Amino acid sequence: MVSEKKKRAINRLQSMYPLRSLVDGMYERAVEVSKAGEPTAWSMVNWWEGDIILKAMDMAVVYPEDYGAVCAAFGAAPAYLERCDSDGFPSHMCGYARNCIGYTATMMDLGKIPPETPMGGMPKPTLLLSSGSLCDARYKWFQALGRYMDAPVWTLEIPHPGVKESQMEGAYEHNISFMVEELKEFVAFLERLLGRKMDWGKLDELINDTIEMNRVWHEVNELRKARPCPMHARDFWSSMPASLYLAADPKKTKDLYQKMYDEVKDRVDNHLGALPIEERYRLAFIELPPWHGLKFFDRLAERGWNFVYESWNYHPPKPIDLSKVSNPLERIARYTYQWLTGYFKDALKAEEWWGYFAYPYLELVRDYQCDGVFLHPLLTCRTATNHLMLVQDRLMKKLNVPSLVIEGDIVDLKLFDPDDAMRKAEAFEEIMNHYRVVRKEKGLNW
Amino acid sequence: MSESKGLTRAKEIYQDRPRRVKELKAEGRKVIGYLCIYPVLEMITALDLVPYRILGDIREPITKADACLPTVVCPFVRSCLDLGLKGKYDFLDGVAMAHVCDVGEKAAHIWHIYLNPPYFHFIDTPHTIHKAAQKQHKELLKDFQRTLESFVGKKLSPGRLKEAIEAHNQQRALVRELYELRKPDPPLISGTETLQVMVALMSIPVEEGNELLRQVISEVKQRKDGLQKKPRLLVWGSIIDDIALIELIESAGANVVMDDTCVGSRAYFPDVKLTDDPLDGLAYRYLVELKCPRTFREGVFGETKKDYIKDLESRFSYLKDYAREWNAEGIIVQAMRYCDTHGYEVPGVKDYFNHLGLPNTYLELDYTEAALAPLRTRVQALLEVMG
Repeated sequence: MVSEKKKRAINRLQSMYPLRSLVDGMYERAVEVSKAGEPTAWSMVNWWEGDIILKAMDMAVVYPEDYGAVCAAFGAAPAYLERCDSDGFPSHMCGYARNCIGYTATMMDLGKIPPETPMGGMPKPTLLLSSGSLCDARYKWFQALGRYMDAPVWTLEIPHPGVKESQMEGAYEHNISFMVEELKEFVAFLERLLGRKMDWGKLDELINDTIEMNRVWHEVNELRKARPCPMHARDFWSSMPASLYLAADPKKTKDLYQKMYDEVKDRVDNHLGALPIEERYRLAFIELPPWHGLKFFDRLAERGWNFVYESWNYHPPKPIDLSKVSNPLERIARYTYQWLTGYFKDALKAEEWWGYFAYPYLELVRDYQCDGVFLHPLLTCRTATNHLMLVQDRLMKKLNVPSLVIEGDIVDLKLFDPDDAMRKAEAFEEIMNHYRVVRKEKGLNW
Repeated sequence: MSESKGLTRAKEIYQDRPRRVKELKAEGRKVIGYLCIYPVLEMITALDLVPYRILGDIREPITKADACLPTVVCPFVRSCLDLGLKGKYDFLDGVAMAHVCDVGEKAAHIWHIYLNPPYFHFIDTPHTIHKAAQKQHKELLKDFQRTLESFVGKKLSPGRLKEAIEAHNQQRALVRELYELRKPDPPLISGTETLQVMVALMSIPVEEGNELLRQVISEVKQRKDGLQKKPRLLVWGSIIDDIALIELIESAGANVVMDDTCVGSRAYFPDVKLTDDPLDGLAYRYLVELKCPRTFREGVFGETKKDYIKDLESRFSYLKDYAREWNAEGIIVQAMRYCDTHGYEVPGVKDYFNHLGLPNTYLELDYTEAALAPLRTRVQALLEVMG
């Protein structure tokens, strides 16, 4: 009997691998730079508002949110969580934050990076860059690190207007002006901290390259509207950090995304999907996935489940023409603001009052013709969980698209049970079948 | 309107909060609900609207909100939304909410979607107190004013706004005067009674609240049957809008003589400065002077060196003043479960009190009456430590 090599459940994109490796290099670089006495930063994900500026100032950056996922995947998180809890922080707080606080406390006790920590660890930073975007933890947590180390904290502001309020006369202008003023102060602060001046020409170029990089990345994801969908969410998750963390020179990253575009386009032209079998169900995955249990998606893929879109907030903004905006800081402000509010005008027309996190899925699930949505409430991440019930409700009421809710966590591995999730998923197929019929009866085209 | 006065009147209002505003509605007044302490009350008052604080109910099981907000978020906000969904805030003509915290912001949008009141406005309060944030806050208040004007169909004059500021400042001065009566040993008014008064003030128009305060102050000053001397405690932390916790602490053998919570001194102590453009004073007070941990503060703006104790001083030094002036001997540090803004602050604020040599304990609350009883032993343990 000839043994046949088992076919992979998902046809992974070859162009994904070099993008994924960019992020691994981020940690190595930060440690090397720190050893050489050069400044480093720990930063919250800030949707390019601060990243481009840090890059222009030649700072090596690591992202403790990402490091939380790394520690979870490598099994290092429990010790850090325990340390955080024993230091008196409430245990209901964000898993990433608790991991980072525990890591920091351990590092400062040892006087060096904990030797067994994954990916070479995060070096003691020169700066903590927190962000007011999306959740309170992302500025309170860095402030709390003051107990352990003396790195200054800068908090980036980004307005979160309501849908109606964002469209009031003058609102766009004062929101942008606010961001620009804040960014000016941030640059001045960095110049004082680092003792060197901003290279405005370099900044200008980096902004343009970042926008161009994200344009290509956006185009890659647009191709996923095709049936069958040529790219699975697993490839998205592996590739997104290169954009989200601005992990390398954006020119280089753009070229890698371009290669991905070519590969995905080729699949579309040849009607090849991300699954080697028939695409039976198209789904969107909303919120962070169980990083430590991604194999679970292979099991779903074997049943013909293709994940064609992911959380709105990890995608680049809707394209916006900023070529006529000469002030580089204003270009950054408008770009990041576009990421947060790019759906607001349409939300107003639809009379949906939560313009980010909730409304975008009404467009995306329709445009990507999803049969269902996989919602993943995270027990220690309120920001990733707050909106899910609303999303579930709106998708059903407006589009007759059902949701599967499976609880989990970003750090605590025990909270996601793949076998139980699989049982629920199997039952969910009947529900998706039913609502296909309902949508057809109601004249919806998928 | 009830004939009762002073503390009796305050207790009546506390026990049936909407009663008075419903009477006013019957007379043609409109009522604007607000969540937390960041919506600007003076603008509401100046347009002849009645501001009414949206609070939760620790005795009411959350049932309807389960369909809109998951169980892992602030139970106070969930309770407020639950009451709204059950129709208990149907008397509101409008709602003003702010970016008070992540969950508060999300709850605002959910409230707008599911309850869709005739008037709704969201103020996107900045996270920092930087100069640019202050300027932005003023712009946001202009937007708020415009929507209120549009709702009532008339313009708000600077003169009328100044009058409203003066009325609310008067209330703040009276609250500070009331709090002075907690300084003697024993205090002249208990923490429980004080909280009833605070809740009452947030449930009636400002002028009526000022009259109520004058009556309470006068009554308390004349008291002959005062409290007994007991260990003196300051309570810091998340919202306390029900007397159950304070009663529990006081019945365990302490006097709660001072608070730093938002149905207490945090909401009332800072005045609005009377500036040429009244919006300047309002924008400053509601962003910079309200000391809720939802706002990011730093010792010196843009400082490139970090010093932990200096950082704690910049955030909490007013607590040192409170402890000294009210002669607090111990501290209850309490936070609502799932309240991130307070939760991240807990070790820091405890460090600060330890630095000051003030015994303290941490209580985590889940906003249900039933869960309070086990906390009594924690309070008793603190009292033992205090000797």
